This record gives sequence, structure tokens and C-alpha cells, in this order.
Amino acid sequence: MPSLKDIKMQINSVGSTKKITSAMKMVAASKLRRSQEKAEAARPYSSRLEEMLSSLASSAASGEGIIKLLTGTGNDQNYIIVPVSADRGLCGGFNSSINKETYKLIQSLESQNKKVQLLPVGKKTRDFFNRVMKDKIIESFVDMNVSSTGYEAAFSISTKLQELYFEGKFDKCILVFNKFKSAITQEVTQQQLIPLDVSSSSDDKKTSNEETSTNAIYAYEPDEETILQDLLPKNVSIQIFKVLLESDAGEQGARMAAMDNATRNAGEMIDSLTLKYNRTRQAFITKELIEIISGAESV
Amino acid sequence: MAKINFDLVSPEKLIFNDDVGMIIVPGKDGDIGVLPGHSKVLSSLRPGRIMIYGEDKNLLKSFFVAGGFVEINPEKCIVLAEGVDEMNTLDKNSIEKEMQELENKDSADSKNQLLVAKAKVDALNSSFYEKI
Repeated sequence: MPSLKDIKMQINSVGSTKKITSAMKMVAASKLRRSQEKAEAARPYSSRLEEMLSSLASSAASGEGIIKLLTGTGNDQNYIIVPVSADRGLCGGFNSSINKETYKLIQSLESQNKKVQLLPVGKKTRDFFNRVMKDKIIESFVDMNVSSTGYEAAFSISTKLQELYFEGKFDKCILVFNKFKSAITQEVTQQQLIPLDVSSSSDDKKTSNEETSTNAIYAYEPDEETILQDLLPKNVSIQIFKVLLESDAGEQGARMAAMDNATRNAGEMIDSLTLKYNRTRQAFITKELIEIISGAESV
Repeated sequence: MAKINFDLVSPEKLIFNDDVGMIIVPGKDGDIGVLPGHSKVLSSLRPGRIMIYGEDKNLLKSFFVAGGFVEINPEKCIVLAEGVDEMNTLDKNSIEKEMQELENKDSADSKNQLLVAKAKVDALNSSFYEKI
């Protein structure tokens, strides 16, 4: 039987863990609100940009140079995958689900004889792929802190990707990230970034498509192609920015849920340990009483 | 006089949204003055000043943008811009200091930044459109 002192120490240590997890939960909750606001503030820009792009996309013939971001290289052989994870742990299955999904994707692509490279964003996924397939990583981005650095963070990733693309290092770029559904649910999502997938538009984008096609008589200055050349690289950055913000909000949500669970579990554990403590204490008292009484009787 | 709805949007947030009398935006091929009922235009922007006027042509606000796009239709004018600063928050001395640092570097990135910084100084120096 464990001594009373042991149980007491165990209760104390679970109690301090509980304090930490509940503090982390509070922090995550307030960060979540902030990241959610950021994600919402970024929405008008990206939806407007998508509208412009969809009204212009039709005018792009299979071209050279920057237009390739839209039309593709014509090949389907080299892939680059960008998994986006958090920099820190203690947020439930948030990071491991990204790693799992990416790993599956790599295996399925490789079984079709495609060449796959990786450009992980976030410490957790970088560390994971550093362990399992180090040779595939061409570059990694960590400590992005999108909620404080803002658009610059996305811009650096996008510049690197475009550099690689125009050097002909890959034909398709796929993002794997946690889509923010609600404060407690995130959905692992794959999104093709390059070449731009205009057909995979969501419902809200479709309606905007119809809208622009009904009144699409715009005068373009300087002309469609020049605008597209400005628009396409910017769209890549904006897509990445959006994904980073969503992933950031998702991370806080996941951490909040995980820490809430941990706090609850710690509470339950303290209850059961306290019960055990009291029982043991009573057992000791009873034992001592029996010893005294039987001693007295034998005299 | 009629009004036109004007949105100034940066990747981070919606910066300005109100009904105004007139806007001047720095289009790639030249400045564009937008009044209510303007025909439909889609243009990219060069680094420069966006001037926002009230109904009686009094200057309400002016912003510096490093680039972006503008979409104009008769009821609405939307500017999607990067590197937006309100003109009266820009400090000429600090920009010139930044320019000197940039001149010593030699990369495509710093050259771009230098162009933007130069445009900022030009914008600060110019007094075009302040009274119309």
C-alpha cells in the first residue's frame, strides 16, 4: 500500500498540472478570438481578388512566363507539397493529423511514379519529416507567427515557391493544412495552389462567377494580360496568407479543446486520488486502534 | 451631388469604407479620377497616392499604396492594395534613411523596396490634387 505521503505528493503534482492546463486554455481562448478576427479581416481582400481573377481567367491563353501560374507547365510529374502545421505542440491531434495526411499523400503520389518534394511550414511538421524523409525537404519555414508579422510571412513563402516554379523544379503545388471550421473542429484539407484551380471553386465563388459573367464588360488598364501578370503572383501570396491565418486560428482552437480536456481529466484524477487518500488514512487509524485495544485486552 | 461607395482593402484588413464624392487612384498608365457613375474599369496600380474627397471636393484622406488593383463600376470603387500607409503617418527622414540602407544592398527585392521608398518621397513632396 502506498504511504499517505506518496498520495499527498501525487495529488499536489496533478493539481499543479491542472493549473497549467487551465491557464493554457485561457490563453488559447483569447488568442483564438484574435486570430479569428484576423482571419475574418482578410476575407474581403481574398474574395475580391478571386472575383477579379475568375473574370480574367478566361482571357488567358496558354501563355509563357507568369501566366503559367494559371495554365500550368503542361506536365504532371513533379509535385511539391506544403504541409502547414503549428510551431508548438500540446494541441491535440492538430499537428499529427497534418503529418499523417501528408505522409499518405506522398505515398499515393509515389505509387503513381510521381516525384515528390516537401516544403514544410511550421516546426512540428518540419521535425517530423526531418526524421522520416529528410532527403525530400528542399526548404522549410518555421516561426512564421502570422498573427504578428501578417502578410510578410506569406509573402516570403510565396516568393520562394514561385522561384522554384519558374526554375522548373515542380509542376504542381499542393497545400495541406487544417481548415478552421469552428472553435473545436478543424478539417485537414488539401488545396492545389499552383497551377491555380479555377474549377475547384467553392459555392460562394461560383455565385460570384455568375455575377461577374453577367456584367463582365470591364475596360482593362493597361490590358488583361498585364493585369493578370500582376494578379497571379499576388493571388498565390494571398492564398498562402489565408491558409496561414486559418491554420493559426485552428491551432488555437485545437489547443483550447485539448487543454479543456486535460483540465477536466486532472480534476477527475484529483477526486479519485483524494478518495484513495482518505481511505488509506482511515485504514491506518483503524489499524492503530486495533493494536491498542488488543494490547489492552492482553494485559 | 451623388456619392460613390469606396473600399480600400489591404490583405490584413478593410482600411476605408464609406460613401465619398470623388477618388483619385494612381493607375498604372496614369492617375484615374473616379466620380459617381464612372464606367467599368479594372486597372492595376503603381506606387502612389490615393486621394479621397468629400462631396464638395474637400480632401478627406490620402493614403500611400505600394501597388495593387482597382475595380471601378458606376456605384462602387474598390482598391485592393498592399503596403498601405496613411499619408500623414509617413516620416520623410526615416524613409530617406531607409533608402540609404537599401541603396547599399544589391538584390531584386531591395531594388523593389527602393522604388517604393522613392515613390513615397515623391508622394510626400508633391502637392498635386490637394486643392481641386
